[in-house]
Amino acid sequence: MLARVRSWWRAAAGRREFESSMSAELEFHIEQYAEDLMRAGAGKQEAYRRARMELGGRNSVEEDCRKARGLQWLDEVGRNARFSARLLRKSPAFTTAALLTLALCLGANLTIFAVVDAILVRPLPFPDAGRLVTIFNTYPKAGVERDGSSITNYYERRGKIAAFRSVSMYAFGTAVVGGAGSTAVTEITWVTPEFFATLGRGPARGREFSDAEMNPEADRVVILTDEYWRSHFASDPSVLGKQIWVDGSPRTVVGVLPRGFRFLSSKAEVYLPLSSSAERRTPQERHSGGNVMQMIARLRPDATIEQAQAEIDAQNAALERDDPKAKMIADAGFRSLVVSLHGDQVATVRPVLLLLEAGVLVLLLIGGVNLANLLLIRASGRLKEIAVRRALGASGRRVVSEVLVEICLLTLAGGVLAMPVGVAGVRLVNALGAQQLPLGAYIVFDARVVLAGLVMTIVLGAALAVPVAWFNLRSLPADGLQSASRTVTTGRAGQALRHAFIVAQVALGLVLLTGAGLLGLSLKRAMEVSPGFRADHAIAGRVSLVGNRYPSPEAGREFTERLVKDLEQRPGVRWAGITTNIPFSGYNGMSAATVKGEVLRPGQTVRGNYSYGVAGDYFEAMGMVLRAGRFLNAEDSQRKERICVVDEDFARYHWPQGNALGQKLFQGTRPGSDAEAFTVVGVVGSVKQAGLTDEGTQGAVYYPYIYRPDSKIFIVVRGSVRTEPLKADLQSALRQLDPALALTGTEAMSDRIAESLLVRRSPALLAALFSGMAVLLIAIGVYGVLSYSVAQRQREIGIRIALGAGPVEIRRQFLSIGLRLLAAGVAIGLGGAWMMGRAIEAVLFHVSGHSAAVLAEATGLIGLAALVACFLPAQKAATTSPVRALAAE
Amino acid sequence: MAKPAEILPGTLDMLILKAVSLDPLHGYGVLLRIRQISREAIDIPQGSLYPALYRLEHQGLIAAEWGQSENNRKAKYYKLTAAGRRRLREETAGWKRLTSAIDAALNTSSLEES
Repeated sequence: MLARVRSWWRAAAGRREFESSMSAELEFHIEQYAEDLMRAGAGKQEAYRRARMELGGRNSVEEDCRKARGLQWLDEVGRNARFSARLLRKSPAFTTAALLTLALCLGANLTIFAVVDAILVRPLPFPDAGRLVTIFNTYPKAGVERDGSSITNYYERRGKIAAFRSVSMYAFGTAVVGGAGSTAVTEITWVTPEFFATLGRGPARGREFSDAEMNPEADRVVILTDEYWRSHFASDPSVLGKQIWVDGSPRTVVGVLPRGFRFLSSKAEVYLPLSSSAERRTPQERHSGGNVMQMIARLRPDATIEQAQAEIDAQNAALERDDPKAKMIADAGFRSLVVSLHGDQVATVRPVLLLLEAGVLVLLLIGGVNLANLLLIRASGRLKEIAVRRALGASGRRVVSEVLVEICLLTLAGGVLAMPVGVAGVRLVNALGAQQLPLGAYIVFDARVVLAGLVMTIVLGAALAVPVAWFNLRSLPADGLQSASRTVTTGRAGQALRHAFIVAQVALGLVLLTGAGLLGLSLKRAMEVSPGFRADHAIAGRVSLVGNRYPSPEAGREFTERLVKDLEQRPGVRWAGITTNIPFSGYNGMSAATVKGEVLRPGQTVRGNYSYGVAGDYFEAMGMVLRAGRFLNAEDSQRKERICVVDEDFARYHWPQGNALGQKLFQGTRPGSDAEAFTVVGVVGSVKQAGLTDEGTQGAVYYPYIYRPDSKIFIVVRGSVRTEPLKADLQSALRQLDPALALTGTEAMSDRIAESLLVRRSPALLAALFSGMAVLLIAIGVYGVLSYSVAQRQREIGIRIALGAGPVEIRRQFLSIGLRLLAAGVAIGLGGAWMMGRAIEAVLFHVSGHSAAVLAEATGLIGLAALVACFLPAQKAATTSPVRALAAE
Repeated sequence: MAKPAEILPGTLDMLILKAVSLDPLHGYGVLLRIRQISREAIDIPQGSLYPALYRLEHQGLIAAEWGQSENNRKAKYYKLTAAGRRRLREETAGWKRLTSAIDAALNTSSLEES
């Protein structure tokens, strides 16, 4: 076997040598034999003639020798490749169209594949990542789908759930990190012990946080990422034990993470201990997750998610037994769900990514069909040539292998061209914001994507080869010669196949276009939703009131008052206000309020609502609408009596009769003493907290800042002209008040809204792009097939015109072919679009999957493109000169 | 001159191996040697000689080397490889078994004798 391969390789590699050696050997044989014959008395000429004759046909002997070496197929492929390359060069229009189609369709597929692969397919970059889960509390009947996990949950579950090898908590945040006096705001993550052990990638130097460091008195430690260590400590090997300032106080470095460590999409550079006081670990705090802290766990190798879920359910049931609030919690539909960490991360984008993947595959299908049609037309054009060659003895195999080599060459070249298209595509989707998707940071164009591209190319090549090879084999030599000689309707089967492909293209294109239309309409509907405030001319930024200058909420209140006063004195600023959370901030935790004297109706439970602590002229700065009573203002934080403002959703739910003003409510889930009650002094219009497509009407309560303080505050500034100067105003005002404070995430409110639509806008744009390409391809396809028809029937047209047919009739004849194909395609496509609409309804917003308007527009667009593509060849047919047409043969 | 015997299918390779087993030969030499050792009884068709040689070389049963011919010309000489020697032994044994069996079959004059 090895000897054979070596011999084959030698012969194949040293091809020239092989040939010359073979011919020298045969030459030697003839000479020797001729000499022997001459010695026996033959004349020289006669001797050589006989010697040659007895050896047999020189070519066939050489061919047999080559065959004996297994060189024959190599010859054939090489010959075919050269032949095909020559043919392709001779028809630049076809070659260009085919390569462009391939490069664009494959490139688009590579791009989407890169995104889908990075986000949905590849496991998270941790060992055995399939065993990582996240656990979160949900209270669906209270309208709170997701509330994270609480510190109490963590301490209750640690080591108690047999299905978990380890449990850990994390929370994302920002902090001022650096040397003393630094104001560099850095993304950070708070974590509990075993966080890195749970992920399976521990610190590369030093250690994880210890249990002792979970106490607020002993938590002055920090773990750095490799990047932070390199850039801020110059890769100092003795970094452990050194100090770093976080939010104004020193901490000791206890660990450095391995290179490239990244938890999900977090850009955290520094990890801090998620420390908690003893009160926060008590059973009373069990349901106070607020979606701020999240829990992850690693399953034991033999445990399943179902087991873990069963254990968590059992533990929850046991714990709630002696909880005074048990009934209320149960009424809220409380459960702690265990789900795959990866699946949970990408749950929001999965449907839309799969949709895009399907769309781009349809595009590839349309492109492939187009190519098949072009190749079929080409094959028809060569029918006569092939028929002649087959009549002269070329085998069917030979003819087919030529076609296959040509398709191989084309698809491979297209595949190669698709690579740069794919690279550019990945850049494009990143520019469209794909990086901001969950796990979007992992999107790369790497060897894996290239390999996928190669596989796609090969599959496409094989799929293309089938109809073309079939067509070539099917046409018998006699048929080819006959039909070609008369140039009448050739190869009915070929024509039927081409037409079927056009119908398929139109149908697929209609489905794709409808999908894009639905996504677009859905985006439009989402953009039309009012956020409930005026997003123009307003900016918001975030500040953390940290360090010893703000020991109490009172200090924070004073700061906010001074800041608002300073801002409102500036000429460009109309209003300024402070809030502890802002719409579209991405922080969507809810809390509860209890209305005084409210008796829960049967089936009614406690409800989660958004809670804001506001100061200054927050409502005016946001441009919110007053429905009744009054807004809160700067003085309300100093007022003795407690007051609040609710939004109309909250008011409607709790006081359906419309008598919200003057009612009293308490923070939390239990009524307190009268002194703790807040009196409703105003009702404002509802705002969208999570996003424009947010359907929840959970309601919101606005308290004076002092009664719902937070060290993290948002500052909203409204101007009358542009938003850019407002940023400078905000920055300078802050610098004057406290230069140590760092402003982060300053953005126009309109930009925040735009960003929240990313998951709708980018897919809609991509789908529109794919549809545009599809329509173009369909137009090219229809044009190509009809032009070919016209060219084939030149003679017939010529005769008809000569016999008196007018241009109108000729035009009508060809237009009617196009229209019939179009009608069939649309009929099938509408069925497909209907099914597609059902499938994608889940990702649509306020649009039915069967929007008649979208279907009509999509049909109209495709129809228009196809008609224009029909009209050109039909027009050409109509203006045929009969003399020229008949003389052409 | 008696009409040369037709060679049986499958025996050409065996004959070539036998021919080159005695000493290295060029292609024409193989032809002459087979004629010689078969006492002029077998004349192999020249057209099939070279493909057979190439096939055997490809299978590693014979090895080729360029050398000088008797009349000082460059010629390609074939010699048996170890694998070729093994194959020749096997084929010879197989052939002998076959021929003796056929002999026995053809020499049987009546059923009683056997």
